Amino acid sequence: MLDTLEEIINKIQLSNRDFLDIRYGYAMGESFTVRNGRFDSVSNQTTGGIAVRALIDNFWGFTTIVKTDRESILKAVNKAMKMARAGSKYTKQERIIGDDWVFEGSGSTKIEIDPREIDKETKFDKIVQTEKTAREYSDSIVEASSSYQESHSKEIIVNNKGTKVSNETHVIRLIKNIVGRQGVKMQNVFDSTGGAGGWELVEKWDPEKEGLKSAILVEKLLMAREPPSGKMNIIMDPSLTGVFIHEAFGHACEADGIIAKNSILEGKMNKQVGVEGINVYDDPTIPNLRGSFEYDSEGTKARKRTLVENGILKEYFHTLETATALGMEPNGSGRAMNFNVAPQARMGNTYVDNGDMTLDEIAEITKNGVYLKDSYGGYVVPAKGQFYFTCQLGYFIENGEISDMMGNVGMSGMTLEVLQNTYAIGKEWEPAFEGTCGKGGQWVPVIGGGPNLGVSDLVVGGTN
Amino acid sequence: MSFDDNLHELAEFVVNHGLSLGADQVEAYTLYGSAKSVQVERGAIRRFTDISNSGLGIRIIKNKSLGMASTTIFTRESIENCVKDAYELAQVSPPDPNFNSLPFDDKPSPDILDRFDQAVVDIDVEEFTEMILQSIQQAQITDDAIISGNFTTGYGKRFIINSQGIDRTSTQSSVGGYLGVKIEEGDDIGNAYYYDASTVLSKFKYEEIGKVAGERAKKMLGSKKIDTAILPVLLDPDSTYGTIEPILANGINAFSVFNKTAFFVDKIGDKIADDKLNISDDPFYPGGTDSAPFDDEGVVPQKLKLVENGILQTYITDSYTAPLVGLENTGHASRSSFSSGPRPAPYTLNIAPGEISKDNLLEELKEGILLIGSPIGSRGSNPQISAQINQGFFVKNGEILYPVKNTVIGSTVFDIYNKIENLSKETENRNGHQAPWMLLKDLKISGGK
Repeated sequence: MLDTLEEIINKIQLSNRDFLDIRYGYAMGESFTVRNGRFDSVSNQTTGGIAVRALIDNFWGFTTIVKTDRESILKAVNKAMKMARAGSKYTKQERIIGDDWVFEGSGSTKIEIDPREIDKETKFDKIVQTEKTAREYSDSIVEASSSYQESHSKEIIVNNKGTKVSNETHVIRLIKNIVGRQGVKMQNVFDSTGGAGGWELVEKWDPEKEGLKSAILVEKLLMAREPPSGKMNIIMDPSLTGVFIHEAFGHACEADGIIAKNSILEGKMNKQVGVEGINVYDDPTIPNLRGSFEYDSEGTKARKRTLVENGILKEYFHTLETATALGMEPNGSGRAMNFNVAPQARMGNTYVDNGDMTLDEIAEITKNGVYLKDSYGGYVVPAKGQFYFTCQLGYFIENGEISDMMGNVGMSGMTLEVLQNTYAIGKEWEPAFEGTCGKGGQWVPVIGGGPNLGVSDLVVGGTN
Repeated sequence: MSFDDNLHELAEFVVNHGLSLGADQVEAYTLYGSAKSVQVERGAIRRFTDISNSGLGIRIIKNKSLGMASTTIFTRESIENCVKDAYELAQVSPPDPNFNSLPFDDKPSPDILDRFDQAVVDIDVEEFTEMILQSIQQAQITDDAIISGNFTTGYGKRFIINSQGIDRTSTQSSVGGYLGVKIEEGDDIGNAYYYDASTVLSKFKYEEIGKVAGERAKKMLGSKKIDTAILPVLLDPDSTYGTIEPILANGINAFSVFNKTAFFVDKIGDKIADDKLNISDDPFYPGGTDSAPFDDEGVVPQKLKLVENGILQTYITDSYTAPLVGLENTGHASRSSFSSGPRPAPYTLNIAPGEISKDNLLEELKEGILLIGSPIGSRGSNPQISAQINQGFFVKNGEILYPVKNTVIGSTVFDIYNKIENLSKETENRNGHQAPWMLLKDLKISGGK
């Protein structure tokens, strides 16, 4: 396929200012879900096709096809170029891609045990036993479910600047979701494991232990206190720090939003955005994490990004276009969900770096507030700099000590305030939030992480 | 051989091939569609997109065991592999004793007015762009307003064939778009968005998208943090629909009812809301973007009264869940994509009006919050609500004072339904979704002040 794409792109005559890329994408995966003792999804998925992007006279044309023969690809190339030429009269901005960033090579997620070689019964057993153990723990568990997912995707990318890249990504995941109910009160516990890699990432999942752990927690949550409301000091665990940094800050660092003037961080490069001790990174090259990959969907080699260094904003997430426009280096952030969509500036594995405090020390200086754990996810409006995220459970902090458990709750904050309001950074970071990030209708696997973090003046939306 | 030009033939092939492998029952769900999009960035057009949205989903049953497979590649080899994958999964997956049968339904499917408009398919991308430029012009409420968005026009053809005799075909056109507008005055930011969607080109309110987004962005300037308090909340029709619909969708879908995670388990005939709440579901609403002549298993649905005077009337079901909850199949099977299995979901809800005017509702609000295009969001099967206000205003003595920021509503889905103080006599109809203004009493508002 690489030869065919290269042959086609070499035939196309374009000026130096113009850009064309062709991306072949193929993905296959399987997923199984067992819920309350029966399989309600046992599924195999295949997608495949060609995407063509043309940037001509400052305007983009983008088209996709499911046929992969030479003639169909040529037709698609001509269609994308025609669309770009037709649209150029409508654009008002200069839009080009620099000639300096050419990548050649191939990458692949390292797999020790290929999950495609593992029989289905072994995969079923992991989820069946997890679900069964949780469901049978008590009558208040009304729904137990567990899922297994694996996906194997390949991209081949060529462009008229000379990039020729082939990249494979393999992602695996085990999930459990346990729901407890007592009358109108319901609580659920969601957890997952896995990452970019093979069966070795889920092999150690002990179904009985995992099922039991979540069922016990659900039972405790049904008896927990109602969450409080109002502005208060919060300690976040690594999972919550992960979703917090992803929503509150990561999205605002996406350079397509900066260029579109839809990010609160526009114009803040090299300016203080947080307290001096805070460092924020995104690193898709860490092996085996859910947001790990070697090359992005534009063929750019991925590398570690330093977003915030000692509180100063240092880097955005770039596509080739945004890096050219802002005169910066591309950093491999152009991710596409599949062949049918165009790459956007996206995160990979985003985390707050370590500080030096223990949880007890942070609780002591917090005095009164809440210690919140285990994220459910969140969202942000980057233009306004207002974000929202949720936790599965928490504990009250009273007189500097962690006390009673509380149920799930959501929180709201302002991007430009929260890193300035960080008053304590824990000792050890963990890639604890294993998420799937949505943007512009595309969903990609990501990690959010960090240490325990103390932040003042977040708004907690409880009922008490 | 390729099936690109005849997806009905493809679906028939899938069913026959599955049966020849030894399947007990087979279903082929095939979508063929294309979409043209125009992206707006910084008030100008940035990109034209033309993509295919086609795919095949297969369900195979063997000895009550389920196997599913899907693909976007329509070569004969790929289709055969897809059928084989589904069959092999059905052979190894454990049987589901609750499985009865894939459905059969020979009721004629009704013609829905305005479901398909050839003009939506035929419109040239440059002609479409001219409409979008007019929308952008309306959104340009100040010289330096920052305008972004996306507009799409397209159509989809759906074929559902199963081994029990279902054979349905339906085509729907769709045109829609949104604009987001941001206005900056120093550090003050006003930001809002608005959308519209239609099945018919002449009914697509593209100019209104820009006009409303621009006006709302201007109104969002000067936002303030407020104190934590217990306050009444007035919701505009968009917010009402976006608050009421997801609670009902979880609360009465038979899959969740059977699993006991639905909010309204064992509540048919019981009061689930204030007397003022009346909701019906009309799958055949003319021009409704969520209307359909048959569900995602090929069963023709019925118009249903769901809530009358606050009392729950029925659950919504599909072929799998109807026998589990002891009801008829109401034809509410819905798939999130061709690769997903079906679950019951509502079509086009009509939330009935009240008797008071919306102006009176606002005038009588002594101190409270007004939500515009900002639903009180609930999350799946979790009844606890902890929802950020995205477009809300502080109101005193009937006067809208300023937008609020950094504010969260804490409540439960049961409280939302029971705290309906009043509904306006005026309703708005957005793509078939009909709702009035709604006043909720005494909600916990967490403020950042």
